[in-house]
Amino acid sequence: MNIPESLHYTDQHEWIKVDGQVGTIGVTDFAQNSLSDITYVELPQAGKVVNQGDELAAIESCKAVASLYAPITGSVIEVNDDLESDPGLINTDPYGKGWICKLKIEDDLQLSGLLSAEQYKPLCEEQT
Amino acid sequence: MSEKTVLFDLHEQLGATIVDFHGWLLPLRYEGILAEHKCCRESACVFDTCHMGQFSVSGPGAADSLDRVLTQRASALKPGRCKYGLLLNEEAGILDDTILMRLDEDDFLLVVNAGTRQKDFQWLQAHLGSNVSLEERDVSLEDKSSAWGKIDLQGPASYEVLRSLIGQQRPRLAYFAARRTDFLGRQCVLSRTGCTGELGYEIFLPSDALADVFGRLVEHPLVSPAGLGARDLLRLEMSYPLYGQDISEKANPLEADMDRFLNLRRTFIGSGALEEAAKRGTARRLIAFRGEGRRRAESGQEISAEGDATVGTVTSALFSPSLGVSIGLGYVATEFSREGTQLSINHPRGPLAVTVAAKPLYNRGTCRNIDAFGGYTE
Repeated sequence: MNIPESLHYTDQHEWIKVDGQVGTIGVTDFAQNSLSDITYVELPQAGKVVNQGDELAAIESCKAVASLYAPITGSVIEVNDDLESDPGLINTDPYGKGWICKLKIEDDLQLSGLLSAEQYKPLCEEQT
Repeated sequence: MSEKTVLFDLHEQLGATIVDFHGWLLPLRYEGILAEHKCCRESACVFDTCHMGQFSVSGPGAADSLDRVLTQRASALKPGRCKYGLLLNEEAGILDDTILMRLDEDDFLLVVNAGTRQKDFQWLQAHLGSNVSLEERDVSLEDKSSAWGKIDLQGPASYEVLRSLIGQQRPRLAYFAARRTDFLGRQCVLSRTGCTGELGYEIFLPSDALADVFGRLVEHPLVSPAGLGARDLLRLEMSYPLYGQDISEKANPLEADMDRFLNLRRTFIGSGALEEAAKRGTARRLIAFRGEGRRRAESGQEISAEGDATVGTVTSALFSPSLGVSIGLGYVATEFSREGTQLSINHPRGPLAVTVAAKPLYNRGTCRNIDAFGGYTE
């Protein structure tokens, strides 16, 4: 299971990459592996305001449906339009081309409540 | 306690994700459902279908006896031909969908679904000879499902693959033809049938021959193993109903949109009730639909027509890579079943607009091709 060190994680298998006040969000390698064969992503609208834990996007695969929850409170500033025609990018490159959306981070303090790669790794092992 | 087919260890070695399917541990996928689907449509795939039922029905009385219990007319089937049809109860409820193969004058093979195998066999034991015993009717019924197994090889490259394995002549079969043949020194029944819509074969072999043949097929550069996930997607693209999901004892063949497989002038178990149903008219029909985008419905969701009235229910739904949109099957009130009718599926994330479509949804399959492969009709 690929778990890049530089990212923050949630126990719902989301990752967030922080760059100043912008957080790029996606689902982890563990998540894409369980879902397999992603066929559709329902992306949020730019401008949407979410609280930490709100549903941000929906992901459909051949055999499952899953929700992406906002790891932090913020507003959507950009979505990955490539996922409309190629949702499989989440399977092939979950931390790169499979990014889902970018949020403007409202509260930096929430980041310290998220999991590090070290803390996230055992969750994957438990659930395998 | 779930059962394993003789190929279970091979599936594990190939990295399959295993699921329980009607009490059988089978591969859901290996590389991935979409990759396997693509391979089947463009090259060739092998499926473990050992869990399905195979009944041998033989003897001078076999054809007449089968005529009474199936919608297919066995006595009109030429030796070497196969026919799809249904096993019905007296109320015309569908007990199973089946393929009947006439291998010789008095030699039939009936292929049935895995989940209904025991039910079907008991039904045939009770009804094949009617009130008269099987011996008196001169029919022998044997369940070969454990002694024999089946592998499905499907995809435009499947003739080439088989030819490279067993020689030029043996796979030369017309669409829906079948024969007993030799397969690498073992007894085999080979039929040009399948549920994917692509050129393909069902390979019936004694159980102890299966692992070797499956292994050889998987090693062929044009072949990938494929699981139940891909199989479900391929059959849905062909608009083929899945027993237990799209059809069951609760549906009669007219509701299931299977008029073309029925001859109502014939008498068989359920034909009386079917005639009544035909006269009354059916209130609902099994339709195929296609969406406008990738978002798909789920089985069990309600279907609405204009004015938000509920007119039906979804029974199967998936995203179709071949069509690029979501597709499905469902029952709707007959007045809304015409091709082109706009419907809406009540999905929790918002209504899903769909259109009733002609079957099969996917019509570029190679299953009937004769020209591209060196003229293999006979």
